[in-house]
Amino acid sequence: MSAKILSVDDSKTIRMIVKRAFAPYDATVFEAANGEEGLAASLANKPDIIILDITMPVMDGVTMLTKLKENADLKNIPVIMLTAESGRENVAFIANLGVSDYLVKPFKDDQLIEKVKRVVTLQPKTAAVAA
Amino acid sequence: MLNITTEDIAKKFGLESVPESVKRLSQLLGKRDASTEDFAKLISQDKDLTARLLRAANPRAESEEDYTTTTVEDALGRTGMSSALLLAMSDPLIRAVHKSFALMLKIELKALAPTALDPLKEEHVLGEVSFSGKAIGLVHLRLPNAFLPLLGERLLGLAPDDMEDEATANDVIGELCNMIVGNFKSNLCDAGLTCKLSPPKIARTEEFKLRVVDGGTSQRYGFCAKELDFFADLSVNPWSE
Repeated sequence: MSAKILSVDDSKTIRMIVKRAFAPYDATVFEAANGEEGLAASLANKPDIIILDITMPVMDGVTMLTKLKENADLKNIPVIMLTAESGRENVAFIANLGVSDYLVKPFKDDQLIEKVKRVVTLQPKTAAVAA
Repeated sequence: MLNITTEDIAKKFGLESVPESVKRLSQLLGKRDASTEDFAKLISQDKDLTARLLRAANPRAESEEDYTTTTVEDALGRTGMSSALLLAMSDPLIRAVHKSFALMLKIELKALAPTALDPLKEEHVLGEVSFSGKAIGLVHLRLPNAFLPLLGERLLGLAPDDMEDEATANDVIGELCNMIVGNFKSNLCDAGLTCKLSPPKIARTEEFKLRVVDGGTSQRYGFCAKELDFFADLSVNPWSE
């Protein structure tokens, strides 16, 4: 079954990088430009995993994460933070909100894929087509 | 009872450990009210910082043999403690620039010598992110227009024409600024200078002036990527509170 991935970042560049990273896999990448759109996309698509930025307009990633954890239908969706924020106090604060993993920008595609594979099964596209 | 530290949490996520230069910066900030002698003693423990301070105190010298200021204390007397802090802060910024280019663009940068910084004479792209809190300051990233196709191609696999679209180019440069200054800011926070960033502002300009924030000091750093020179300017007032 195709993996459903939600990328929430106000930067179109990062959303494109995330989308490109998953191109070799049988995965559908949904996009949202802020936390509010991210929550709506989570409810609409029930993603297998959310890749979430912190600093965004309208609703930031920390607020979105808090609201996800308050929602019975969404609270178990694994979340990987993808952010340039690596200050220890902030990382600790966010870790306590219940994230699966944390990746600091700049990053390599492989690092993102490796972290996602720890929580979601990713099938290479060719294998998925053959099956 | 388990005693989980912030460093344990960082390790769990595979985050890099806090660089030595950030720990040193933290120690220097703790010496805010100390004497020049005490400040100098701490700087002397860091060979790289000592070398950069002496270089800054001897701006006209072509080599170390030409230095007229040869001790850390004398160098501090010439440049001031704020300049020494600026030098200590520049290391996290320079590291963030190198890391962003290596990981995101697969480009190993060459650092340009401070004496070999030729100004950008034509219109270029200026990315600005300011920070405010326990320290105030700003970072300017100055890229020649010729750099844009390389950025688009390496970061997103875009054709050169795609980067002629200003919105696309601005988003790419804005994200590059975010990564670089976001990393830098995280290091400042780890050193005790808690601060927040502004969203990046992207403009085209012919002006190549090094800006200085109120009560602060500034420094320009040059880099070369694929035979194209670009610059990162740092201006900071570390004593804003």
